Amino acid sequence: MLNRVSAIALNTFREAIRHRILYLLLIFAVVMISFAQILSLLTVGSEEKIIKDFGLASIDVFGVLTSVFIGIGLVSREIERRTVYTLLAKPIHRFEFILGKFAGLSLTLFVNTAVMTAWFFLVLSIKGMFDARLGVAVLLLLFQFLLITALAVLFSCLSSPILASVLTLALYVIGHLLWSLELLSARLTTESGRILCRVLYFLLPNLGNFDIKGEVVHGLAIGPGRILWATVYLLLYGTGVLCAACAVFERKELQ
Amino acid sequence: MFPPFPPARRRTLMALCAVICVLVAAVVQGRVERMTRGGTIHPLLYLPSGKYLKVMALGFDGLAADMIYLWSIQYYGNYDIKDRYEYLERIYDQVITELDPHYLDPYLVGALIMTVEARNPEMALRLLDKGVRANPDQWIMPFEAGFLCYNDLHDYKRAAVYFEKAAGIPGVHPLVRRLYAEMYNRAGDKRTSLKEWLEIYRTTDDPYVRNVAWNHAHDLKVDVDLADLRGAVSRFHEMEKRAPHRLLEVVVSGFLATLPRDPEDHDYLYDPQTGEVRYRGGLVLGR
Repeated sequence: MLNRVSAIALNTFREAIRHRILYLLLIFAVVMISFAQILSLLTVGSEEKIIKDFGLASIDVFGVLTSVFIGIGLVSREIERRTVYTLLAKPIHRFEFILGKFAGLSLTLFVNTAVMTAWFFLVLSIKGMFDARLGVAVLLLLFQFLLITALAVLFSCLSSPILASVLTLALYVIGHLLWSLELLSARLTTESGRILCRVLYFLLPNLGNFDIKGEVVHGLAIGPGRILWATVYLLLYGTGVLCAACAVFERKELQ
Repeated sequence: MFPPFPPARRRTLMALCAVICVLVAAVVQGRVERMTRGGTIHPLLYLPSGKYLKVMALGFDGLAADMIYLWSIQYYGNYDIKDRYEYLERIYDQVITELDPHYLDPYLVGALIMTVEARNPEMALRLLDKGVRANPDQWIMPFEAGFLCYNDLHDYKRAAVYFEKAAGIPGVHPLVRRLYAEMYNRAGDKRTSLKEWLEIYRTTDDPYVRNVAWNHAHDLKVDVDLADLRGAVSRFHEMEKRAPHRLLEVVVSGFLATLPRDPEDHDYLYDPQTGEVRYRGGLVLGR
């Protein structure tokens, strides 16, 4: 099974590279270096904080865009091009196809993030601002990308690419706004409303778990449990979403 | 309608057209800008509060704070905008520091603009107080607030409260302790100031600081001793209707617990004819 999944994953990775995804990295690199150079002209103090914020935000945005816009086409494009029929005619289970696709995009994201982080660290080192704790923030960003990829794969099995991208981006926005459900819940007067808020709060993907950018940039303490629980959350929620994607794809009628 | 062009010439013409259109658009943009400049609507009127921007930032609150901070530096550095201080507190207090409460520079730079440019130190203190609350481990916040009270408001007691708070934070610069001690002197409480300077003298390892502390403690001790002695002599005079023959008489009569000695361990000079008490040496700092 592992051989089949890894073969699909490698092909997905190669396909992603052919999508000129690396050009995005080049843009990232140019933007980073330009910004770092002109920054000293614009600010009074805070140069280090701004460069770190900007670098982490760039990795975040580029990673999320890669997850969403490649993830949503993973399954639907195969169906559209009818390549999925050739593939599934071979002794491959449908869930292996989904897992392979997910693993391939995860590999792409890993390489993508690694290159961006290496460049980011290089710029910081040149300016004498290197901080190893930023690596922890990037690791959690990678976890976020993996969860978004899993969601994109699920929606890719369920609907058209446009709808899948809308749904994935919507969940990305909601995932970063879940904390506001707590505030809303406190203001609601009806018990049922409060229960609904609590249920949604725990059911929807909480991407805030993977956001420690502020803490890292300000050098604030990060509890040891924070990273551990974020990892556990990713494993559980990600597995759940991938299982759902496999179940949907198993039932999908391919004609 | 048009004469047929060869493809190469057509491409050149189109490229030329594109360049001209973009240049004309740039000219029009300049005109639009001149028309909208000086309009009745303030450009900051619709900037949402940091609380709402935090929701809209989707986890990029730090970056949003950076961008607005960068913009604010350019905006407040533009002396052509006459009413630029109108929304000063809103920008720094309700937007930037609301988005990122641990971002120290906007508190410091915002307070500086409020004090030096807008001439509103109380507004600056409100911003720095917020910084103190949000960053209790950063001594620079109460230090800046204390320095503002000392330097701009000349409210030394208030400054002492801030310096005391800063002095209690780990990693504080040693200067803060000295400023704290000095504030009591400026506020007229020389005894507390002397106590603090002596504490600095006793606890510091830095020879320079030790020397500074000694100079301050020296002069303060002379001031305090002379004030005690003159007060005791005056009270003696009121009771006995004469000046004491010797200083020891004020101690014997119970107007003073002990007779203080000067920093060089000599007696203070006393003239029984005039009742005047003097210090035989000179003040180090000459105040």
